[in-house]
Amino acid sequence: MKILVIEDNVELLQDIKHFLEEEGNICEIAPNHRLAQDKIGIFPYDILIVDITLPDGNGLDIIKSVKKENIDAGIIIISAKNAVRDKVHGLEIGADDFLAKPFYLAELNARIKALYRRKAYNGSREIHFNEIKIKPDSLEVFVRDNLLNLTKKEFDIIHFFVVNRHRLLTKEAIAEHLWGDHIEMADSYKFIYTHIANLRKKISELGGNDYIQSIYSVGYKFTDRE
Amino acid sequence: MNLVKKTNTHYLIFLAFLFPVMIVVDYFLIQYIVNSEVEEILLHEQERIDFHLNRDGKLPPSNYLFETVPVDDNKGHSPVFKDTMLYEGYAEKNIPYRTYTFTSSLNSQPIRITLKHVLLEINELIWLLFVTTSFIIFLIMLGIYFINQKIYKWAWNPFFENLAKLKAYNVTQKDSIHLKTSRINEFEELNKVITTLIDQVKKDFQNLKEFNENISHEIQTPLAIIRNKVVVLLESKNLDEKELQRVEAVYQETNKLSKIGKSLTLISRIENQEFKRMDRVDVHTMIANILSNMEEIINFKNIKVTTELSPVTIECDHILADILLTNLIKNAVQHNKEGGTLKISLNQERLEISNTGEVSKIAAEKLFRRFQKGSSAKESLGLGLAINQKICEIYGFQMEYVRQGEKHTFILCFKAVESGTA
Repeated sequence: MKILVIEDNVELLQDIKHFLEEEGNICEIAPNHRLAQDKIGIFPYDILIVDITLPDGNGLDIIKSVKKENIDAGIIIISAKNAVRDKVHGLEIGADDFLAKPFYLAELNARIKALYRRKAYNGSREIHFNEIKIKPDSLEVFVRDNLLNLTKKEFDIIHFFVVNRHRLLTKEAIAEHLWGDHIEMADSYKFIYTHIANLRKKISELGGNDYIQSIYSVGYKFTDRE
Repeated sequence: MNLVKKTNTHYLIFLAFLFPVMIVVDYFLIQYIVNSEVEEILLHEQERIDFHLNRDGKLPPSNYLFETVPVDDNKGHSPVFKDTMLYEGYAEKNIPYRTYTFTSSLNSQPIRITLKHVLLEINELIWLLFVTTSFIIFLIMLGIYFINQKIYKWAWNPFFENLAKLKAYNVTQKDSIHLKTSRINEFEELNKVITTLIDQVKKDFQNLKEFNENISHEIQTPLAIIRNKVVVLLESKNLDEKELQRVEAVYQETNKLSKIGKSLTLISRIENQEFKRMDRVDVHTMIANILSNMEEIINFKNIKVTTELSPVTIECDHILADILLTNLIKNAVQHNKEGGTLKISLNQERLEISNTGEVSKIAAEKLFRRFQKGSSAKESLGLGLAINQKICEIYGFQMEYVRQGEKHTFILCFKAVESGTA
């Protein structure tokens, strides 16, 4: 898919661009309001990632103009300023999702893919990874076409893994994905550890491969590569 | 004691001292005046008697004549005034007289003549003075009282109005304060000083607020960058285990920093009263939602949850209500022990959340301070309860903490608007 990232911090912009391109997307960048407006006017994008505070304007204005001109692009706001208010306001004027800075790139990736799936396929598209198949709309996971019996959080974990395949997912990123950033507790890491063990067991019971690699004490990677 | 009472009391004390002084001074003054009047009368009478003695050779009739005593010679007897008491048969009592004795000659025979004049009776004089002075002092007091009341009402009116304004003033409000002007210089001066002071405080507060906002905002983007770079480093195949451990430590501290930033921003936003919405929040539903969100962790820790939730609706910003309740329940889960219990009971007045847990050594009142951590929680920042405290402050909720050995209870008293029907 084609993504435009509007963000004034060039370093962060490069990080996001790099990450999204590794996921196989075409990613363009705009470090300010004017450039963003120019690019949106000329090229079609599937997803716009918009920072609210820009040196020469407000990201919310970009969203308003996109909505006014009926451009069919999914919009995700990334903002650090006044998160709660920006979130409510941003969603009111037509943004699809909101991420407060600092966010995990894996989380951004998951949000982009979910949004794209919702827009392009009405959420009905299946996600495949070798013998594993995920139906996000019905929260079902199949291994070699056998339904895996999972709890809601286990589904969230494997979904997050498959969307961010070949990526290092830190415990913190997984915890924030599962519970949001209100909840930070030691128990959640133990919980993740136990549930990943359960997941491994359940997948292998149905004849699936173990794709979950532990990366030291930092986190996990879901991959079929060495 | 208010100003009028204080002033009046002081006047009263002053007048109480003045009262005997006035009586004594008046007494001597009046006595002196009366005596000199009497002496003058008696001296005139002496002149008149001398004149008649010289011309007619006999004593003239006189109302003042008391007695005449013939003497041998007129040497050595100077005229003398004296006070004396004389018994008066008609009044059946002693009456004070001023007497004047002088020497004259009747038909070349020296004679001592004593004249007398009645004086004011001392008792009567004192009584008179007491009554009149009391009356005057009473009038003065009445005057002072009414004048003070008047002054209090009129002159001090701007002062009290301004006082009320200052009481209601809050630095976080946008518009500056307008104090009522007064024609009294001191009040005007006070107003000027207060206005300057408030402007200064407001400016400082604004600066501090901006600083807080800027710092917490500006810090988040660099933190996001650091975190992303660190994740890339962690994925690197070229680092050995020791190096990876160090990078991981950087990662975790970065996360902590970011969370501190977010929490402090939240606290300052609550303080700045940026959450102004008054939603109707169903507390029981919200608690049930939070519990279901944490259900798996609760099961994972094997915690037995019992709830007694009656439908309660409160009015506050639903984001803050969610933060408040999540923090409380999260704490009760996080600080709980394996296989412990968690009891939540909710009624119109209060929410009680009690959980089993380690025996904490931290004093209960310290628990609400920023960065105060419970004994076991290495992961927590110690900001959750400080945030809760702020939320409670702005809505007038009361949060209490009670500890009985292993059992920890948080009690939240709120003003429930009305019972829901759900």
